[in-house]
Amino acid sequence: MNKVILSVLGHDRPGIVAAIANILFECSCNIESVSQTILKTEFSGSFIISMPPDLTQEELRQALNEDLAAMNMHIHIESVLKQKTGLVSSNAEPFVITTKGPDRKGLVAGISAIIARYGVNITNLQAVFKGGDEPGNNIMIYEVDIPVDIDRKDFSRALRAKAKILALSISIQHRNIFETINRI
Amino acid sequence: MLTDREIISTLEMLENEHLDVRTVTLGINLFECASHDPQKVKNKIFSRITHFAKNLVAVCNRIGEKYGIPVVNKRIAVSPIAVVGAALSSSQMVDIAKTLDAVAEEVNVDFIGGFSALVQKGIARGDRALIEAIPQALTATERVCASINVASTRAGINMDAVLLMGHTIKQAAKLTAEKDGLACAKLCVFANIPEDIPFMAGAYLGIGEADAVINMGVSGPGVVKMAIDRALEANPDLDLGQISELIKKTAYKVTRVGELIGREVADSLKIPFGVVDLSLAPTPNVGDSVGEIFQSLGLLSIGVPGTTAALALLNDAVKKGGAFASSRVGGLSGAFIPVSEDLNISEAVRKGYLSLDKLEAITSVCSVGLDMVAIPGDTSAETIAAIIADEMAIGVINNKTTATRLIPVPGKKAGDSAYFGGLLGQSTIIPVNNAQEPNRFVRHGGLIPAPIQSLTN
Repeated sequence: MNKVILSVLGHDRPGIVAAIANILFECSCNIESVSQTILKTEFSGSFIISMPPDLTQEELRQALNEDLAAMNMHIHIESVLKQKTGLVSSNAEPFVITTKGPDRKGLVAGISAIIARYGVNITNLQAVFKGGDEPGNNIMIYEVDIPVDIDRKDFSRALRAKAKILALSISIQHRNIFETINRI
Repeated sequence: MLTDREIISTLEMLENEHLDVRTVTLGINLFECASHDPQKVKNKIFSRITHFAKNLVAVCNRIGEKYGIPVVNKRIAVSPIAVVGAALSSSQMVDIAKTLDAVAEEVNVDFIGGFSALVQKGIARGDRALIEAIPQALTATERVCASINVASTRAGINMDAVLLMGHTIKQAAKLTAEKDGLACAKLCVFANIPEDIPFMAGAYLGIGEADAVINMGVSGPGVVKMAIDRALEANPDLDLGQISELIKKTAYKVTRVGELIGREVADSLKIPFGVVDLSLAPTPNVGDSVGEIFQSLGLLSIGVPGTTAALALLNDAVKKGGAFASSRVGGLSGAFIPVSEDLNISEAVRKGYLSLDKLEAITSVCSVGLDMVAIPGDTSAETIAAIIADEMAIGVINNKTTATRLIPVPGKKAGDSAYFGGLLGQSTIIPVNNAQEPNRFVRHGGLIPAPIQSLTN
């Protein structure tokens, strides 16, 4: 069995996942993991699939393109490297970084650069920019894993400094507080 | 994966609705500091408190920062000093108070409670020494808080103690006359005092407690008010049952904060976690008011007809939500109505909507009692004792906690302003009827017996 990751992009409508799953079933592929999002009007889905040994990636690509032609979906297939564990080390704490402020170019780039500089991994990102100056309309929420061995005060300071330059208000909190307040 | 709604609503509570941890109170047992030698008592108290409390403020700040929720106050509550210092004289008790003040400053906490005595059945020698020391002790110190339990449902009301406290309060006011009677703002008289209140001025470490304990006081009247406002804006036809449910859920969220942070502070300090007190405790800051909740519920102001019913709804919903949120709920756990500490409530007094009689009535359905009530300076000690007696009766008969924190402001009369500063706020002086006439009733003294409902065995 070889593992691949299949990415599908295209205009959203009912029936996309059904179509893909059907093709994969007919090709004797097994879906191991799926993640799907809708960004405004566009569908984006990632599938980790194990292919039968006698199926090549090119064959799978052709099968998908044929059947999804009518939907105008863009397909990409890539091998998944064999890795025992994910990137996340067990020595990291989950935090949530939230920013609010007027919309402008460079917000995600600016904040994510700092996050990358400290070796912090983004595990989930939600950002909605409705445009304009109303701070409530432009929110970025980064769920991150901060390794325990980095200087969190320093990281925090760097983030706040960058946020100030970008005219954003920023808050950085451990994930537990959100779960504790909102879930039983 | 957290939803954006969960994250944004939590941040709203923190940033705009004044959600915070109002206090982390470290309770420290001082019984092993007892001695006939006052110097030994002082030394032991100082070293025991510093031993437990030296990292309290740093740990609270670190954990507050981790979660983005400020721990606004760090406090200490000790075993009742009347018991710890039972062998000491009144002037030696004043010295103990000064030691407590010094060690509070040393570890950087803003208040230290426990200069207390429990006299519901009778006043022992050490108790009397402490009570006599109170005016001087609270004048000479900044951070020390005192509480005296004069009544309980099981014991009845000790009217000798009540009268004694009337005089003590007058004396304390006199000694701090130039500060509008500030010493009285640090003195509470209780019926059925809980052993684990984290809030001042009633905090002390009860006798059944361990060596040390962490108790949490959360607060969030602003959060509750905003939740009600939002809900009513979306749907003006909500009925009181639905509003109660909404308050309950909000109280749940607020209490969860206390549970999370309290347990982590306790773990870090390696001190057992005690209770979360889920009281709605206001501050003089705008938007952090219990009084405003009444307006959100549709009353013109706290104090107008409908107030007692509204408070009953509020207090009960807060308790239910909080009880679900924490495995250990204790202290007072309800709505506070501290007149000077809440901008909106002191305004209600100034405008005449809220009278002393209404305040007394609502204490039958809320936690605290006549809290931070400034009264005319010429109110007699007997009248003060009588006001206390009334409040104690409400507590004793209804098997609940009630208390008084009355401040007769020297030289000022009803309608004047009293200013206490900081969290203690400021307020208009409330009129008291029949304030200077003699009161033969309280002078009878003795013990009003325990009510029949105390015979529950």
